[in-house]
Amino acid sequence: MVVKQAVVVDVIKKILCVIFLSLGFVTYAQQDSTQVYKKKVLETVEIDVLLGYYEQEGIHAAVTGGIGNEDLQNIAPSVVVRIPLNEDDVLTADVGISAYTSASSSNGNPFNTAASSGYDDDDDDERSGNGNGNGGGNSPTGTPWVASSGASRKDVLTSINFSYVHATDDRNRYWSSNIGASFEYDYQSFGFGGGYTQLWNEKNTEFSLKAQVYLDQWKPIIPTEIHEFDLFGVNFLTDNQSYFSGVSVIDKDGNSVASYLPSNYSPIDDVNRNSYSVSLGFSQILSKRAQFSVFLDLVKQQGWLANPLQRVYFADQANFYIGNRSSIANYEDPSNTDLFHLADDIERLPRNRFKYPFGMRLNYYVNEYLVVRSYVRRYADDWGVNSNTFQLELPIKFNLNWKLTPSYRYYDQTAADYFAPYDQHLSTQAFYTSDYDLSAFSSHQIGGALVYTDVLSKYSLWKLSLKNISLRFQNYQRSDGLSAFSIATGFSFVLD
Amino acid sequence: MIKESFTGLKTYKLKKIKSFLLLLVVLASSTSCVAVKEYNKVFLNDADMALKAPFSERFETTFHIYREAAAGANGGKTGGGCGCN
Repeated sequence: MVVKQAVVVDVIKKILCVIFLSLGFVTYAQQDSTQVYKKKVLETVEIDVLLGYYEQEGIHAAVTGGIGNEDLQNIAPSVVVRIPLNEDDVLTADVGISAYTSASSSNGNPFNTAASSGYDDDDDDERSGNGNGNGGGNSPTGTPWVASSGASRKDVLTSINFSYVHATDDRNRYWSSNIGASFEYDYQSFGFGGGYTQLWNEKNTEFSLKAQVYLDQWKPIIPTEIHEFDLFGVNFLTDNQSYFSGVSVIDKDGNSVASYLPSNYSPIDDVNRNSYSVSLGFSQILSKRAQFSVFLDLVKQQGWLANPLQRVYFADQANFYIGNRSSIANYEDPSNTDLFHLADDIERLPRNRFKYPFGMRLNYYVNEYLVVRSYVRRYADDWGVNSNTFQLELPIKFNLNWKLTPSYRYYDQTAADYFAPYDQHLSTQAFYTSDYDLSAFSSHQIGGALVYTDVLSKYSLWKLSLKNISLRFQNYQRSDGLSAFSIATGFSFVLD
Repeated sequence: MIKESFTGLKTYKLKKIKSFLLLLVVLASSTSCVAVKEYNKVFLNDADMALKAPFSERFETTFHIYREAAAGANGGKTGGGCGCN
């Protein structure tokens, strides 16, 4: 008992000792701060609000094997709050959501009748499939060319990130760390990282090093026909509980058959996807009007790098369909509204990927009205993708308040080694994808940004003074036919 | 034939190494330029001279990450954090 008391007293002594020592440091720091003036890294709380809208159209939907409607709409609001904790430290909170509806994703279950196996995608399509398949009027139909109304047609990504930056007294060294997470219906991610920045040569030269880790996880959703095969095995066309019970499957000649079997399919054995990256940056002031920076990222990804919802069709295996046999001839044409090709397998990609992007920025201050901003990037990875990016922005200031920034961006890439268009892969291949994001293409993006800067802080909201408002709009055209439009409006405030 | 391929590969690698060395020399020599003093950085401190993408651009950086196979070296994500490429 006495011994216990002695131990407790000892612990209390130690705690008090630590508290007094801490107080001593705090007092010292306060005294020190009165002696040496330091400009704050961030003067006051800053809040940035960004609301983005994006839409796209295309004919190479990845979920339906490289053909089909890939219309997509996305709305993404986000808020970033930067809080100065003291002269040296800044805490940043970044919260956002991204909500989309996608024709391609909707066709995870493209069929227009409810499932019987419990894999109900709530797919009560309103399109008028006429049910002319061999199964009669109640037989389900589907098509890659029309969005389905199933649950997978929409999703919301929610993300939250915190970062912390500490600057040394001479503002020549910065330490940073970050932690964050994001959640989607079928995907979740946890990330963390840290960085170090060193300035020298009278702050004319800067070197930065950053490391980042993402520990992600799929909650796989697979196409309906593959799901039923996974659940009921070889009897999935006849089992009473199966979605396909009583449903007529037809071959390329329109004959009702029972030989459809996605035998290449094997279940996803590892739902993890981890990414590790190291980023190196170097920047240099060249003159009173010019500065440049170079960036090199080294990225390793490991785990399930394919998307489980994306179908693949093999050229060396027979084709099987559900729906109207008279649409077989025009299956690849948007006029097909009532026939769906059953998948041979889901997308499969290697478990590892190394990426080596290298970028460079060069900015030049022409005069008080014009700045030239340029960016180039060379990218390579071990999947065979090589790409080039070039971007030019010309911020033109009309006066102290208004600025217009026209911009142009060019991008090209070679195809990944594992890409082939719809129905051209072979079942003997180890890896395959018909996702056109991994195909060879080039793209052009033209747009601009209009920015109003409230120099005198005339406008305020509660205790927040407006810094600037921006409106950014971009038109994106890809050589494979995908076209997209985005518009984003941003508001920057500072706390009074 | 094999010898020719090997020689070709060797030449290609040498070219790459030469380019990288040239870049290093340019970078190293640029640091030895006369430093611009703080009071002369008024143009460099213009918001548009920042060597990073503006905040309003991050929305389109996100859709580039989804729609293109390449990512990184631009301040955006390099992979991970989403079910994209």
